[in-house]
Amino acid sequence: MKKTRKPKSITENGKKPAQFRLLPAVLLSALAVGLGYAVLSLPSQASGLSEPVAANLESSGVSNPVTAVLLNFRGYDTLLELGVLLLALLGVWSLGAAPKRRESSPGLVLEMLSRLLVPLLILVAGYLLWIGVHAPGGAFQAGSVLATAGVLSLLTGWRLDTRFSGLPLRITLVAGLGVFVVVGIVLIPMGGRLLAYPPSFAGALILLIEAAATLSIGITLAALFLGGRPETGGHS
Amino acid sequence: MSYVPDIHWGVMVIVLPLAGAVCCFLWPRRAVPLGLVTALGIVACVAGLGWQVVEQGAQRYAVGGWGAPLGIDLYADGLSLLMLMVAAVAGLGISVYSCGYFHRPDAKRDKAKHFWPLWMFLWAALNALFLSADIFNLYVTLELLGLAAVALVALAGGADALTGAMRYLLVSLLGSLFYLLGVALLYHGFGSVDITLLAERVEPSPVVWAAMGLMVTGLLLKTALFPLHFWLPSAHASAPAPVSALLSALVVKASFYILLRLWLEIFPFANAALAQLLGLLGAAAVLWGGFQALFQARLKMLIAYSTVAQLGYLFLAFPLANVIGWTGALYMLLSHAVAKTAMFMAAGNILYFGGHDRIVDLDRVVQRLPLTITAFALAGVSIMGLPPSGGFIAKWLLLEAAIRAAQWWWGGILILGGLLSAAWVFKVVGYAFTQSEVPHETRTVPASMEWTALVMAVVAILLGLFAPWPLALLEIGSPFGRENAG
Repeated sequence: MKKTRKPKSITENGKKPAQFRLLPAVLLSALAVGLGYAVLSLPSQASGLSEPVAANLESSGVSNPVTAVLLNFRGYDTLLELGVLLLALLGVWSLGAAPKRRESSPGLVLEMLSRLLVPLLILVAGYLLWIGVHAPGGAFQAGSVLATAGVLSLLTGWRLDTRFSGLPLRITLVAGLGVFVVVGIVLIPMGGRLLAYPPSFAGALILLIEAAATLSIGITLAALFLGGRPETGGHS
Repeated sequence: MSYVPDIHWGVMVIVLPLAGAVCCFLWPRRAVPLGLVTALGIVACVAGLGWQVVEQGAQRYAVGGWGAPLGIDLYADGLSLLMLMVAAVAGLGISVYSCGYFHRPDAKRDKAKHFWPLWMFLWAALNALFLSADIFNLYVTLELLGLAAVALVALAGGADALTGAMRYLLVSLLGSLFYLLGVALLYHGFGSVDITLLAERVEPSPVVWAAMGLMVTGLLLKTALFPLHFWLPSAHASAPAPVSALLSALVVKASFYILLRLWLEIFPFANAALAQLLGLLGAAAVLWGGFQALFQARLKMLIAYSTVAQLGYLFLAFPLANVIGWTGALYMLLSHAVAKTAMFMAAGNILYFGGHDRIVDLDRVVQRLPLTITAFALAGVSIMGLPPSGGFIAKWLLLEAAIRAAQWWWGGILILGGLLSAAWVFKVVGYAFTQSEVPHETRTVPASMEWTALVMAVVAILLGLFAPWPLALLEIGSPFGRENAG
């Protein structure tokens, strides 16, 4: 569908006289100049939030400020972002099934390399997840590395067994969002607010959420690469 | 004392549809009961929050217990509450209608399976958006909203819907990115993304003007104000009927809500010329949308162009800038949401009944779908702005505001827009009485679809009779209180 439309839109644009193509260029240049002026007039020292973040890092449960912001101070944003990721996959799945797999040999290099790389990538993903507590890393980085393991396997022709591509796959996809929401809600009757971790458990809760999120992010990105709903066995 | 337990209703309003979306995704076979239960739950939670806000005044809730500027705050005043209620009323109606629409004997099971989780995500995004007090969090909700809306449009399948959805996706992303750039500039300049803190700190400077320009443009693109409406008719008309209803009733209003909040809180110093420009574009939208609607051959396309026109009225309040004007615009938003839901539902019934929505071929729908055409006509009364409908109250308030602001000429736009709407409503109703030359095969429309359309249309009329109540709600927390005129 997409392939047939693309050339058409190009010819439609091609028919437009030159002055119509000039107009967006002029407008965009004006925008760029205006924005450039605004950015130059900004104070060079940003009055950001790094001070309050540093002051509250102690009670956030982690010592990496980025993880503290993402999972604790502004955890609600991250919760919704996990929803965005799941929604993107839902949107792709609603468009149709994944294209049929062509039986072809992946080639010796890809096959050998992926055998070596996939376990290594999974290991690296685990490491990134763990290190995120006190150094750059965390669920999103770990999830993307995990996704590359999935993409490599898909490229070599591997597909998830249809027994697992129904409910079990869906459960891993929603795990990140699900665990995040459940943890957030459970904290309310424990005398808190949504997502208000008690400082003594904060580290453990953040690791739990990040572990589930890593799994979901990795699987979701790999599933997006597949480009459609996977085949399911019999009942879904 | 309150009779309602002190639960965090605002949080429930957001978490419940998210949980509903996840459950509908996990168990697609039970999506209908799960979706309906969630819808009822959301309505109950909105009612709970309503009680809380009415009894205790505007509510602020610090998610995670950190509070602004470090954390994210939720904020509910009369304005957010009214928006949540619009979403709850239209959302419940759309949920009931969808049960009939996606589970007709000939419908593909596939569509229903995907509709429910997407719709629940969209509802969660709307509720989160109306409660957010943080401009970055608003961006995240906008993304959630945009993606869900695009996927729902594409659900119709076919070349029209996919082209419409693709264009909608690109426009929606462009709008979001404009908005995000504005957020980044404001954060760098003033060190906060909380609306209240920004309102205290922001003062006119090149950065603020740039941020304002970017955010307003992005949001206008998403709200489809003339001449940025080019994507709306194709997206709204080609979507499945319940999706068209929720896009026109709710999704375009969400970005308008953000624009209104920013305009009132962060950019109250915006100059009068810009407000006049928005008013002029609104007036142009009313006339252009009305004319285009009049010349459409297909019913859903006509209704989509009427949305372009009706969105124009919302912007007439900007140059007036008094409390009555804002109230009138909000009342227009409310009554348009309900009436347009009814209208798209009626169009969906007609489309399903005859297999087409060509206006000249309506072929005595009056005799064969009396409930549907009654719903269409009643919704039309509200869209035209005839008494005793909600649309009439809204136009009355806008007219009064125009006279108070000594800018009576906006009143002329209200009258012209009403005449144009009347022209196309009577055209459609006229064809509904005439017999077409070629007989068409017809199918039976499920009763639930006909009745939901009628109930929504009756609500649109009742909004005119019970106006004082929603108007009183709008005063809680005085969202328009910063304005001194009025």
